[in-house]
Amino acid sequence: MRSLLRDLLSHRELLWILVQRNLKIRYKNSVLGFFWTLLGPIFLILIYWAFIRLLKIQISINALITGIIVWQFVAMSLGDSLNSILGNANLVTKTAFPRFLLPLSTVCANSINYLLTFAVLLVFLFFRHAEPAALYFLPLILLTQFALCLGLSLLVSSINVLFRDVEHLMSVMLLAWFFLSPVMYTNAYVTDTLAARTQLSDATEVTEALADQTQITENTAKILHACYLANPMAGIVTSYRSVLLSEDVLPMGMFVAPFLLSWAILFIGLGVFSRLEQRFGDEL
Amino acid sequence: MSGTGATTHAINVQDLGKKFLLQSRGESTLKSLTLDWITGRRKAREEFWALRDVSFSVQTGETLGIVGANGAGKSTLLALLAGTKQPTAGSVETHGKISSLLELGAGFHPELTGRENVYLAGAIMGLSRARMADRFESIVEFAELNEFIDQPVKHYSSGMYVRLGFAVAVEVDPDILLLDEVLAVGDVSFQRKCLERIGEFRDEGKTMLIISHDLETIKKVSHRILFLEKGGVQGLGEPEAIVDAYDSRSRSLQSVGLRREWGSGEILIKNVEIHDSNRSPCESFRFGEKLTADIAFEAKERIVSPVFGFSIADSEGRLLYGNNTQLEDFDIPFVEGSRTLRLHIGELRMARGIYLLSFSVHSADHKTNYHRLDHHSTITVTADAAFEGCYMPLQWEMDPRDAG
Repeated sequence: MRSLLRDLLSHRELLWILVQRNLKIRYKNSVLGFFWTLLGPIFLILIYWAFIRLLKIQISINALITGIIVWQFVAMSLGDSLNSILGNANLVTKTAFPRFLLPLSTVCANSINYLLTFAVLLVFLFFRHAEPAALYFLPLILLTQFALCLGLSLLVSSINVLFRDVEHLMSVMLLAWFFLSPVMYTNAYVTDTLAARTQLSDATEVTEALADQTQITENTAKILHACYLANPMAGIVTSYRSVLLSEDVLPMGMFVAPFLLSWAILFIGLGVFSRLEQRFGDEL
Repeated sequence: MSGTGATTHAINVQDLGKKFLLQSRGESTLKSLTLDWITGRRKAREEFWALRDVSFSVQTGETLGIVGANGAGKSTLLALLAGTKQPTAGSVETHGKISSLLELGAGFHPELTGRENVYLAGAIMGLSRARMADRFESIVEFAELNEFIDQPVKHYSSGMYVRLGFAVAVEVDPDILLLDEVLAVGDVSFQRKCLERIGEFRDEGKTMLIISHDLETIKKVSHRILFLEKGGVQGLGEPEAIVDAYDSRSRSLQSVGLRREWGSGEILIKNVEIHDSNRSPCESFRFGEKLTADIAFEAKERIVSPVFGFSIADSEGRLLYGNNTQLEDFDIPFVEGSRTLRLHIGELRMARGIYLLSFSVHSADHKTNYHRLDHHSTITVTADAAFEGCYMPLQWEMDPRDAG
């Protein structure tokens, strides 16, 4: 761990160049360049908005936009990190430097994009008269999300060198994760649904129409909800909404598990990466 | 830890080994891995040791040349020293900042411009942007890329690419420089410039490891030469001797392809040993030196008037000279059992190069070939003068009548 920090410090200039390179290459040959950082999420928001109207899901526009922007950071970081080692085969086979700088630079470049979008989001929310609460938690949330992204990027980038399957698995996993996370809906929607089921089971008269629906006890509902929140992204998205919008507020204790899990993923990622990086030179 | 003794080692390699796993079928995927796991790993992946039990050390300020056939492990060795590959066994110890130009190409990113790549390379070496800026001019000048430096390197010609790679590798001020076949590319004038720079580098007391197939050059620039064969150290020492050893070794391997042996077998040539004038076995001769060949043979029955012959061909098997006992009136009435016939060549008069010696024994009427060994032995001849073919005594004269 200490050597990791030493490597990072002695190669900070390299990290910065790699970050710049990531940003430059992403917008190279595109007319609108950096504006895509904003245009991308805006298009997504429009599409999802239309979709949600159709599905009649109850969610405020503020909560939706926040969710999408937060989710995009994770999705983009993961997508880019698939190739952060493979795509730099030339560099990895010809020169020696701490390899973790490659996925790190991918995540950093995405973080810069994210922070800019985030700034725009804050301005937007200001004009929408959103009511933030406990904004001092924001740095911790941002940092935790960064840790999660970096941890996953380390895993994905290194495993993909040895098993190219990761590439194919990724899009499926991301889609599943997207629906498992409160992006297009809110955590409240989940609790409400669960609550509806428990009330059903409490009621003695079960109408025929609802007979085929599963009935659960209050305890089961609690456990299910805890499981749902264990998904780090469920915790992170909901925490952003509580802090920025005072919507979907949960007791603090509920965030402990997803946040700890995010940091655990970072350390798992570092461990796996440092084991697999020994083989990069041979496999590329 | 760096040694504090009288001689400091820039590089210390101990029992170094690098194993590769050769895959019989394609890339490893989760599927193939799962299949292997289910079937109890029946597919044993074939192991290949690119390097094995390699030990040597290089002193600070020394230039070590590395020679060896393709696949001998030269590039793997340099990659292990550079740190782009990790050893399977043994250890590599290096002292000082290493810069390398491995296997035709620096770690350039094709989409970035030459300028951006220079700064990227500097950052990889841990040089600050300011220090890199100081060196930038001399890099561009050395690489002769003035107008192209702001073009993406994907538009560069291979010559430009290597020039920039070399310029960067040298100008980042390393303590140890690793060069893999840089001299093989680029035009002659750039090669000369590279060699000059390598010379300067040597004089500055920097350590260098150079892989090259250009034997003459590597002999000139190296203090010592390491000869690798099949992943092991075949020789390490004084350039002239090692290059000679490598040269004759590679030629003899090459000539194996030209070797042929046939005959009816009444007389068998068991062995031929080539000696120099001191009667010690030898494969390498100076021009004009004496050569002796001991031809050990065995006749199963009594054979009357056999004729022994020999011939000398160049490395491609073209005949230069042939002679036999009959033509030279050396009468052999009969042979029976094991004997040794000795051939003395008073003066080798061929141009410098590699030659293949053939030996034969046949009947006096040339109708029966008892035994022939085509291109059996390989010798190297070195000469000061660079004439071609075979030397014949001669004089030049200007006709005095035309003068005035």
